[in-house]
Amino acid sequence: MLFFKRKRKEKDAKSEMQQEVKKEHLSEQIEEYLSKLENAEKEDEIPILNMLGSLYFEMEDYDHAITYYEKSIDQNKALGKAFTDLVKLYNMKRKEASKAGDREAVQVYLQKSDDLMKLTKDTIRGNM
Amino acid sequence: MAVIDFIINSILTQASITIALIAFAGLLLQRKPFGEVMSGSFKTMLGFLVLSAGSSIIVGSLLYFGDIFSEGFGMEGIVPSIEAINGQAMNDLGLANQIALTFLAIFIFNILLARLTRWKYIFLTGQALLWMATMTTVFGSAAGLSGIGLILAGGLVGGIFAVAMPAIAQPIVKKITGTDDIALGHFCTIGYMFAAGIAKMTGKNSDSTENIKFPKGLGFLSDTYLSVAIVMVPLYVVTSIFAGAEFGTELSGDVNYIVYAFLQAVQFVVGVYVLLSGVRLLLAEIVPAFRGIALKVVPDAKPALDCPVLFPYAPNAVTAGFITTTIGTVIAMFVLPWFGLAMILPGMLTNFFAGGTAGIFMNAVGGKRGVLIGGIAHGFFITLLPALLVPHFNSLGFVNTTATDVDTVTAGLLFEWLIHPIMNLFA
Repeated sequence: MLFFKRKRKEKDAKSEMQQEVKKEHLSEQIEEYLSKLENAEKEDEIPILNMLGSLYFEMEDYDHAITYYEKSIDQNKALGKAFTDLVKLYNMKRKEASKAGDREAVQVYLQKSDDLMKLTKDTIRGNM
Repeated sequence: MAVIDFIINSILTQASITIALIAFAGLLLQRKPFGEVMSGSFKTMLGFLVLSAGSSIIVGSLLYFGDIFSEGFGMEGIVPSIEAINGQAMNDLGLANQIALTFLAIFIFNILLARLTRWKYIFLTGQALLWMATMTTVFGSAAGLSGIGLILAGGLVGGIFAVAMPAIAQPIVKKITGTDDIALGHFCTIGYMFAAGIAKMTGKNSDSTENIKFPKGLGFLSDTYLSVAIVMVPLYVVTSIFAGAEFGTELSGDVNYIVYAFLQAVQFVVGVYVLLSGVRLLLAEIVPAFRGIALKVVPDAKPALDCPVLFPYAPNAVTAGFITTTIGTVIAMFVLPWFGLAMILPGMLTNFFAGGTAGIFMNAVGGKRGVLIGGIAHGFFITLLPALLVPHFNSLGFVNTTATDVDTVTAGLLFEWLIHPIMNLFA
């Protein structure tokens, strides 16, 4: 049993290390895209904003991910990853708020989901 | 005693007040500030009264339509509209109080079932719950249930649908979204599963719809009011021509009979507009209050969201599903009367939302070919089920209309085919 425990500890430590490395790599990428965003023309911003949303999502920094995805959708209401990731993100934040007993935040994220749903309908109509 | 009598007989029998009180309770439970509680309750009452006004407009227009259709074609033409069913049940059948309380009961049963069973779904599409409450109340009452029994039976059946439908759809929703965190809360799910079944059988190895390039310009068809008008205006005008000038003028008075038919069709659209504004006002306060409570009681719940939640995953499939479902409803319109069923006119609103969502389901399992064949079958299916309800609606006094949304129709048929005979045994 002790042997298994040691093995699991080793495994945990290894995966923690991998996580660290991954996070470092993600941070570097985020820095890179943030500087790209600073220098980008208005019309080139959308893919950068989406990338930042996606990278922050991977980093599990959900608030920043939401901020960049929302900015992207504000500028261009094309259906895609920004929409689908935002649904997931709002739900995660709603769940967190629900567990923490924060009624206000639960309502905020439910309302955001509702708004996104409305936007989805309108976008489909515009695209048809 | 006199005061209690007054409260029971004169205040609580007024549905608009009961509904406002339900919102009041929900907002209080949410511990909202007093001002918000009062304004929310008042807006809810206002919403109910607006809904009633919309219903009267729709009924007026449908009565006219029924007359010219019978004269012109010698048969019934039925407009599928769950909004009209809801309005007539609340206004003309005097079931508004029961519908409001059943609506509340469905919420409570949904929370209980999500808490106690492994179906952790909280149904958040308020409008769909209102339609479900309408159908279970109408058919529960027709089956002989009344009072608290009616409300509990409707609440239980509706509550089971609220957790079961997202659960049934979840394997395909998971395939579409790649996540198990969110679910679909839309009472057309039986149709989606039927369509997906056909698509799976017929669409093996077919390419995804997302590789098709659709021409733009169908957007106007998916606009809520315009799409209703696109069906209703030609229908009323052509029917009035078939009914003839002599008969038409009897109804239209000084106005030209064709112009009158056109205006009556637009009047129907106005009715839908007013009624839906009322529903929105009514639900805007109640739903946020109760869903907040629900998600607090069941924090690990999966929220079952309205169908547009799936639209971004396959936008082309939405368009394709809408078109193929519409074709199916048009075919069914002509075919069903051969079998002695009523002629059900295509409901463009349902075709867009249910057809579009079915398109995503069908594409996920059967690609392009699946959407084409499955979509036509879906259109046929969602016309057939409401057609089966028409004789029952007629006997209950509904005017030239039938329900849409196949899950609510199924709930109605469940009461009619199962609970009604059982009640008769004990009567």
